[in-house]
Amino acid sequence: MIPVFLAQLAKERRHPVILIVLIAASVAGTVIFTGGTQAPTEIAIFSEGTQSEAIEEKWETLLNHNSELQFVVSNPEDARESVQQGQADLAIRLTETDYTVITSSTMPDVAVAEQHVRSVFEQEAVIESALAQSVQPELLRTEIESAIGDPVMQMNVSSLGGDELSGYDMKTQLIFAFTLLTAMFMIGFRVNNILKDKVYGLWDRMILSPVTKTGMYTAYITYAFFIGFVQILIVMLIFRYFMNVELGDRFDLLLIVLAIFTFSMVSVATLLTGLVKKPELFYAIYPSVIPMIPIISGAYMVPGTITNPVLLFIGDLFPVSHAMDALLDIVMYNATLQDVTQPIMMMILIGVISMGIGVNLVERRSV
Amino acid sequence: MIETIQLSKKFKDKTVVQDVDMYLDQGESVGLLGPNGAGKSTTISMISSLLKPSSGDVKLNGESIIKNPSDIRKVLGVVPQDIALYQELTAYENLKFFGRIYRVPKDQLEDRIQHTLELVGLKDRQKDLIKTFSGGMKRRINIASALLHQPNILILDEPTVGIDPQSRNYILEMIRRLKVQNGTTILYTSHYMEEVEQLCDRVYIMDHGKVIASGSQSELLSILSNEDTISVQLSKMSPPLAKEVLALEPVRQVEEDGDTLKIISKKSSNIISDLVRLADQHQVKIINFQMVNPSLEDVFLHLTGRTLRD
Ligand SMILES: Nc1ncnc2c1ncn2[C@@H]1O[C@H](COP(=O)(O)OP(=O)(O)O)[C@@H](O)[C@H]1O
Ligand SMILES: [Mg+2]
Repeated sequence: MIPVFLAQLAKERRHPVILIVLIAASVAGTVIFTGGTQAPTEIAIFSEGTQSEAIEEKWETLLNHNSELQFVVSNPEDARESVQQGQADLAIRLTETDYTVITSSTMPDVAVAEQHVRSVFEQEAVIESALAQSVQPELLRTEIESAIGDPVMQMNVSSLGGDELSGYDMKTQLIFAFTLLTAMFMIGFRVNNILKDKVYGLWDRMILSPVTKTGMYTAYITYAFFIGFVQILIVMLIFRYFMNVELGDRFDLLLIVLAIFTFSMVSVATLLTGLVKKPELFYAIYPSVIPMIPIISGAYMVPGTITNPVLLFIGDLFPVSHAMDALLDIVMYNATLQDVTQPIMMMILIGVISMGIGVNLVERRSV
Repeated sequence: MIETIQLSKKFKDKTVVQDVDMYLDQGESVGLLGPNGAGKSTTISMISSLLKPSSGDVKLNGESIIKNPSDIRKVLGVVPQDIALYQELTAYENLKFFGRIYRVPKDQLEDRIQHTLELVGLKDRQKDLIKTFSGGMKRRINIASALLHQPNILILDEPTVGIDPQSRNYILEMIRRLKVQNGTTILYTSHYMEEVEQLCDRVYIMDHGKVIASGSQSELLSILSNEDTISVQLSKMSPPLAKEVLALEPVRQVEEDGDTLKIISKKSSNIISDLVRLADQHQVKIINFQMVNPSLEDVFLHLTGRTLRD
């Protein structure tokens, strides 16, 4: 079994193009989704003129109140320069009652930030005009603020399904969806090596050797798991240490979920391999089917976008939707292992069943 | 040592191998000769335990291998008809892989690999990827991969198909050396009768899934002892002429080969005058005329009315 595994590894080492391309695609996808390597949550604010310090202080508090974005006071030249050089997507120049967005980008995060800034300024304008007519301005401000904090009517930007829409959430979601997608490609290609080696007669040669059939399947399947997980791990490490992608505080739990996803996907790929007779056919079908699974599962869309029960059911048959649930819960809501038990169990269930059927089908397909 | 008893294989309704009885003794080299599609590969797949027979049995030293294939696998080296190697790995890496799956002891593996590479004459190319090799070189590594565990019995399935004459001679010479120096028992499959004639002590001739003749070469050739093989070179080939020659009473078989007619006729029957007359009628000149020593090819022609290459 070990020599069979090592031969697969040796092939990969001689020919790492696919691995490198898929890792590069994951990273490139992330750069595109997040608009660069800049940590997306920090936005420079500054003011010019005599009153600048007071203005900056006032708006810094107001803007940072109740926001996932982080507004940091900085010096005007630095802020402008980093926007010009593309290090930051935007900066905001403040005056007493108004602001200007400085940007050269049309990334969605700019719009999200602008929307927040505008609503803060509008609210402040309303409060100040009310205060101007009031006899007891201090009391009124407290009243208004508590009223806003507990509104009678509230308008929110929300998705079709009613969940709260947040640009930041969407990006994390896309990053994971893309990473899982590229991993699904890798896993499928490597599981398909079973078919390939059968066609080339290597499988028969191994059968004649003292290696057992169980050993052979174990070697191919463990290898597919190994290389799939290595790919995901490399991508995650790049995200975490080189790109400052926000991955939450539970990196260990994240990796556990990703490992279980990898196992589950290896099984599904084995099942698909068993359903297809020829390796060429697999190469034709797999790459066209796989990208559809995250779409059906809604991995590229705001949660709740897909409401068609048939699509939802099909999506749930694949591990990717469960993996996304667990990953997003961990990253965005600091979920613990207990909180993500259900998606993990689903993935394990899918994995065990597909593996059982898959290996039997692959075995039966051989003469 | 190995014998097959009424060995048969059906795929769906198609009988591909039918009632084949064969045996192989220790140290022998046996040829399995037959045209493409005769059922040679299917037969050796059953002998090597890769394929279950539809009926019949394969025995190693009197024990059936069908229930318990591990005994035969231990003593067997099989060189498949198609190149079964990792094209993306080097020759050395491939041999190392096969050595490992055959559990060659670690301390001997390196020596065996080098020794085997030397045997197939590719020691200086061991660091090169298989996919950069010529057809003949791939074939040699394909054979080398089956030798690392030093099998007692070597089964080779058409190991010289589609390669240059030089590689072919190299391979034949190599197999002969294995037999002579190591006493390896050899089962050699081919549709080239010259190879089988050169290499094998005994021959089975297969056609349409059945063994149609077997024995040592002289035994097989004696099938033709009641017949003459005559080769007639014509100024140009004339199919109507060939047809009429075949219609002559003593003539058994006629084969057209370029502008030469190969005629098998009853021994000492005088057909020469008839030939001259027929050639005249068809306005064809006879350029050359000779009696030839029969070959296994002629035996096949005699038995089936076809050539091996049909
Ligand atoms: N797995 C199979 N299913 C159906 N037919 C097969 C299969 N394998 C071989 N055959 C058929 O059996 C016949 C003999 O094939 P084979 O043993 O490969 O002949 P040879 O090796 O003498 O050229 C051929 O007609 C081939 O098409
Ligand atoms: Mg064959």
